[in-house]
Amino acid sequence: MRRVVDIGRRIELVPMDPHFNDISIGLYRQGANNGNDTAVFLVHTYSRISGAAERIEAVVAAMQVLGGMLKNADGLLHFPCNSAHETACRRVFLEACKLAPDAPAEPRPLNILDKKSQLTVTVDSRGEGIYRVTVEGEGRGATRRISAIAGGLAKLGEMEPLATDERDTVTFACTQSHDALVGLLLTRAPNVRVALREEEMGAARGVLSAPSQQT
Amino acid sequence: MPNAITGRERVLAALRNEPTDRTPVCNPTSVATVELMDLVDAPFPQANREPELMARLAATGYTELGFDTIMPVFTIIQESSALGCKIQWEQKDNWPTVKMREPIWEDVDDIVIPNDFLTHPDAQCVLEAIKILKKEYGDEVAIIGKTMGPWSLGYHCFGVEPFLLLSLDDPGKTKLALDRMKEATVQFGVAQIEAGADALTLPDHATGDLVSGEYYQRYLRDLHIEFVERIPIPLILHICGRTVDRMEYIAQTGMAAFHYDSKNEPEESMDIVKKRIALVGNINNPETLFSKAPEDVKAEVVKNLDAGVPLIGPECAIPLQTTIENLQAIPEAVQEWHREKTRTARKTL
Repeated sequence: MRRVVDIGRRIELVPMDPHFNDISIGLYRQGANNGNDTAVFLVHTYSRISGAAERIEAVVAAMQVLGGMLKNADGLLHFPCNSAHETACRRVFLEACKLAPDAPAEPRPLNILDKKSQLTVTVDSRGEGIYRVTVEGEGRGATRRISAIAGGLAKLGEMEPLATDERDTVTFACTQSHDALVGLLLTRAPNVRVALREEEMGAARGVLSAPSQQT
Repeated sequence: MPNAITGRERVLAALRNEPTDRTPVCNPTSVATVELMDLVDAPFPQANREPELMARLAATGYTELGFDTIMPVFTIIQESSALGCKIQWEQKDNWPTVKMREPIWEDVDDIVIPNDFLTHPDAQCVLEAIKILKKEYGDEVAIIGKTMGPWSLGYHCFGVEPFLLLSLDDPGKTKLALDRMKEATVQFGVAQIEAGADALTLPDHATGDLVSGEYYQRYLRDLHIEFVERIPIPLILHICGRTVDRMEYIAQTGMAAFHYDSKNEPEESMDIVKKRIALVGNINNPETLFSKAPEDVKAEVVKNLDAGVPLIGPECAIPLQTTIENLQAIPEAVQEWHREKTRTARKTL
């Protein structure tokens, strides 16, 4: 008898959890494209070893804090706006899995030190899902960094530029605020290319190439 | 044709070019994933080195995915390890590889099949896993083993570049090397038959990117004909890449099937082989199975079925992070296609 059940469409996978016995943890999307209006997400492992269920609970709890997500009665996660924000959700999941079990999950602040420019970057919520990137100080290339970080947020969170001439402002299509989510994305936004390259490299592992392509 | 034939009967009939109740779903290479490893607690690299784990993980291809075959030899390095190659066994989420920068042979005279070749733990693991699977599932599905061809062993034991240079510089020595290495292919293949394998995949990586069709004819066609004579079981030749330039020669070998890559169109391939050899494979791994949706997988399955490809499966060992739902889409698509065909036939009557 099959032990695999239909749990939705897998949208992200951590093939080896560094914090719990190298188990794989998947993020599955249910809802919206499964007949419901709300997009909901399931964190799941096929591992049945002792402690695996607790580890999944810890990841779910971390996603609630780091991404400002909510848990419904079935244990499924969703954003308060009920929009999918799938790309952003994948990022929340990956960051939650990286968190060591003994490190408390805390919402990330809406400001960081941009190592590249040594400027302090702040993201202000303007309401209705609109966020504006500003910097403290007049370091070289400040305008370019603001634009790059806003672009990073847009890419990681599937946000949109508010207007073509305002390259410091991005917005969520759902028109709702997501402060925790933006705080999380801000940690990666200054180096969005690195973040995406890491993802690509992770995904490329486990693809068998012919001996002629190996070294 | 009886109504309820087993997966084993279905696969073996298709390999004999006989009609079946429906097209069999067959994986001549691995369908292991990290999630299936977790499901049965049989992760890499242990599942490549311990027979119980190897068998348990392989069985999920049937019990969870619904394939008509079980193929326990996930890697392409088991016999190379037994020959003495150094192996990078890697972790759960990656494939073991031969350290080809540290070749074990430099000259044809170095080639020796060790006396303990078949009793080496990495060869024994395969043989024991096949025995376990035969006992548990042998009446239901076809158990497929794997023995690497001499061209692939040449890459592993001499290194890719030295072996290819040898083939350019000294065809005589190359043929001699292949002739000596082929004994490993035969020994391991015959041992797997004795362990209970119903068919064997025989990968021989004369791949489209590095080796021409003419090369295949010159170096490998006759050797492959010899394998058919000496390994008395249906053989499934596997070569990656674009291979239409050698399919005519492959069709002449007498092999039961050719496991072919998605770089070849099903229809053009069927036109070349003209039912002299069955085709299997073609469902794209790195793009479709790995990163697309079940609907895309099903579309590729249908394309093969429409072209008359007699066995359906992935083109090669699937990426270890492939989703289970995409793999399950393969047998689902086969069932749906046959249901639709039956409906259409009834309407026509």
